Amino acid sequence: MTMQATETGAIRKSVTVPLPVEKAFRLFTDGINSWWPFASHSIGGDKVESVTFDLEGKRVYERHPDGTEHDWADIDAWEPPNRFLLNWRVNPAKPATEVEVQFTAEGDETRVDLEHRGWEKSGPDERSSYDSGWGFVLGKYAGSA
Amino acid sequence: MTYALALDALGDGTRREILERLRRGPRAVGELAAELPVSRPAVSQHLRVLKEAGLVTERRNGTRRLYRVDTDGLAEVRDYLESFWSDVLAAFEAAAEAEAEQEDE
Repeated sequence: MTMQATETGAIRKSVTVPLPVEKAFRLFTDGINSWWPFASHSIGGDKVESVTFDLEGKRVYERHPDGTEHDWADIDAWEPPNRFLLNWRVNPAKPATEVEVQFTAEGDETRVDLEHRGWEKSGPDERSSYDSGWGFVLGKYAGSA
Repeated sequence: MTYALALDALGDGTRREILERLRRGPRAVGELAAELPVSRPAVSQHLRVLKEAGLVTERRNGTRRLYRVDTDGLAEVRDYLESFWSDVLAAFEAAAEAEAEQEDE
């Protein structure tokens, strides 16, 4: 899958952390329960017990103490320790988008680049000819804000 | 929270299409219904959802009611997503720094 650097509306965030790339990748994925801000950034909020990168099922999901599971994403690419790509579909009623996270070694540190993109892709009704996608929502108007 | 309403409102292809049309200029319900393969009552319903989500505004022009895109609402959606990922990466950075410090000890 090639990066579409010119795509409108992609949200990009980067951070550099003082860990070698293998450890940074592992902390982000296997170790997600130790740092992800669930209370504010999940479906269940305080009810979330864990989040799992399920490599066999190729999905990421949150689990609640009563056994309820909510999918966050499909794992579309898994290339430890450098990259993973998610088909982000936290809300099944909304069009899925893509979240790509790349880990690049910079000496003893690791730069993490996150891109949330794919707003142009149509939703479940993409075959209907009049669906316009999300591009203008997050791209064209962002500049005028 | 407007952004949550806005994201929900945008989950519908017809509503996104209505917004796309309004981006080209203010329109009345009847004009939208004539351009889209949905009924006038359906367009009205979609407009109500978009209005409640802060994505369109309505203004009376004589006897007609015209709808237009509310750019503030759209900017809020984007701001929400930006801050979502900023928060996530800030939390990750803090955890990575804590792990690195532990190893130094």
